[in-house]
Amino acid sequence: MILLTLNMLFRKRGTAPSILAIALLVAILASMGSITNHINSEAEALKELVNIGETYIFLSKQSSSITSSQIDANLAGVLKTVPGVNHVLPQKIFKANMTVKSNEKAILLRAIADPDLFFDLRGGSLDGAKAKARGEACVGEILARMVGINLGDQVNLTINDVTIEVRVVGIFRTMTQSDSELVVPMEAAHNLTGSEGKVSMIEFTLEVDAMKDPIQNIYKLLPGDVEVMQVQQPGKFIQDINAQTLFFLNNWSLAVYAVVVAASHIVAARLTSESTYELAMLRALGTRKRHIFTLILTYMVTVATIGSILGVALGIAGAQTASTVAGWMLTSLNLAPFMELDQALELIILTQASSIVGSIFAAFKAAGKTFEELIL
Amino acid sequence: MRLLRFSYIRTRSLLVLALILTAASALFSFTAISFLGFYKTFSSYLGEEEDIVAIYDRKSDTPFTGLVSMQLAVSVQSLQGVLAASPEVIVPVIAKGESMFLRGVVPAVFAKLTKLCLLQGDQLRLEDSDSVMMGIRLAERLRMDAGEKILAFAVLAQSYVELEVKGIFESKTALDDEILAPIYVGQWMRGIDYDHVTLIRVKIERSLVSPSRIFAELSREASEPSQGNEEGDGQQGGIVTWPRALFSIEDIGVEGAARFMKIYLDNYGVTEETILILSIMVFSLAGASVISASKTLIQQHKGEIEVLRSVGASNRTIRTDLLAKVLPWSVAFSMVGTGIGILALMIFERSGHLEVLSHGISFQFDPLILVLQLIVSSLIVALGILSSLRSQV
Repeated sequence: MILLTLNMLFRKRGTAPSILAIALLVAILASMGSITNHINSEAEALKELVNIGETYIFLSKQSSSITSSQIDANLAGVLKTVPGVNHVLPQKIFKANMTVKSNEKAILLRAIADPDLFFDLRGGSLDGAKAKARGEACVGEILARMVGINLGDQVNLTINDVTIEVRVVGIFRTMTQSDSELVVPMEAAHNLTGSEGKVSMIEFTLEVDAMKDPIQNIYKLLPGDVEVMQVQQPGKFIQDINAQTLFFLNNWSLAVYAVVVAASHIVAARLTSESTYELAMLRALGTRKRHIFTLILTYMVTVATIGSILGVALGIAGAQTASTVAGWMLTSLNLAPFMELDQALELIILTQASSIVGSIFAAFKAAGKTFEELIL
Repeated sequence: MRLLRFSYIRTRSLLVLALILTAASALFSFTAISFLGFYKTFSSYLGEEEDIVAIYDRKSDTPFTGLVSMQLAVSVQSLQGVLAASPEVIVPVIAKGESMFLRGVVPAVFAKLTKLCLLQGDQLRLEDSDSVMMGIRLAERLRMDAGEKILAFAVLAQSYVELEVKGIFESKTALDDEILAPIYVGQWMRGIDYDHVTLIRVKIERSLVSPSRIFAELSREASEPSQGNEEGDGQQGGIVTWPRALFSIEDIGVEGAARFMKIYLDNYGVTEETILILSIMVFSLAGASVISASKTLIQQHKGEIEVLRSVGASNRTIRTDLLAKVLPWSVAFSMVGTGIGILALMIFERSGHLEVLSHGISFQFDPLILVLQLIVSSLIVALGILSSLRSQV
């Protein structure tokens, strides 16, 4: 009986335009979603093009900066035993007052345990020698220019009333923050700060062909107060940019679903207006209100399902056609819109839900009418 | 018979049309204003003023990934009418777990092109090698104040920097979502040498010099490099060197700053016109529902229309009268929908969550949007009414 009546409702003139109305709205979402998918996949592909480095650093979890970070220096020894770990460089970084040629300046001082490894990892160029002895220091090119330091200059470094004197034996350019720092051997830092067992951070690199497993092993070895961070983070950037695009698109989609709700209300209102006779007959034959309500909702869900499937197809085909035409006109444009199956399913389900929300009032109203109200 | 005095359209029936027109108009205004907002935010990224010119890398696919010789800033500086040339490195970074853009600048020169209102802390100097200034929107997003430290990781290079927020500024531009740092910090994070920058912004006196004149000067410089010393004239002894670097003029572009950004958008087919066309297409697709609503309205007044016909009203009179009665309402509903769309965007804008490329979008209402909206919605409603009446004849 219900199927028969449903069939009767589907034969109404308004069914095809209703399906089309829903389909066109879903097509807007599908086309926009498929183009966004393409843009996001292009962004993901960019990540592959960037030469991602294998450098990581250990920092203290509680600290808000490298200069305030304090971690156990022995962790460097443990790290060296992990297979796949290439180089390990513990460093101490802190603010110090530098006096040179009667000029005083607050600078960042970087103390390193292995100067050879430091310059190997940083690359760049060095004028002079590496600072290896306690009374020696290398100065970054930017700092050297800023204060006017030359090779052979004597520099006084002061922290908390403790002063040491070092001689500049090298001026380097690494194209990193070290170019604005003074680099000294670790022993010099111990003299200044007194704390031997602690370092600010440990920098380490992985062997190129062993990028993932060592990190998992390292995580297992980490004490609770230490965190590991990758120095170069293109993945995170792309992820954020894509998330921003999707956030915008999701909010915009809400406006489209609002139109789907309104459109569904109109479809349901039109159906009940066009089917007064059929609904009156059903009531006359003793059909309950609940069944009429279910009948209208079933009709609406079916219309929404057919409309959304058609809309997804129309949207993707439309976006691909428009992209091809745009590609002919603008040679720099190379769009290939696509949609994943789960996204299409999500679109269909959300359209069905919006359709139910939109039609529920009209269905409830029609179901509530008596035979007499319907025929009048 | 004067039908206009005969009020036969039921208000309740009009509500169906009101519902769909309001929703479709809200969708149109939301789409048009937000997309145009993105377009305008992006195209005014380097400044909208006509006296700002950008010297950029024509080979680059994006405005952020080009590389030009820093020496070009010195080359154009000597031209009459050039007031300042600001070399800038624009680079994406990750700090506090969020993506953002860091702009390396020579602060004293940058200040000649862009006015910053200092809200907290102090102005940045080129010597502040471990300091930055932060735009107000970014500072609010990260909940940071002057004096706090930030650890930034590079995206395009293996580099990280620890920086102290020296000041917080407001510019009422896209800069409010960025970090300003000394130029060499930008170069570290971009992984390039001290000879190159992303672009050079030039402030000019338009009556004395034009972008084409600057390009001509650079062409001359490329074909006959001046015999200066290696570090560039008058720039030795500073923190930043301006080394001479050979360049090919084919790789260099000189355009007004806004035009420069629009060139990149144009390459992807994004223009103000295409955005408006896209918005109208969105509304037109939603228009099928508006036509359906118009037909439902006529369907619900079938009885009244038949009565009017039976008392001698011609089809033309009924058509004219229905249009005269319904169209003013449709205009009103469209305006309400536009208002709702604008209100929704304002809420999103205030929430600060709506971002594209880590920059907040500032929305501006264009009256053209409303005019287009009213014309298209009236046409669709009229089409729905007329086609429905024709099918009843």
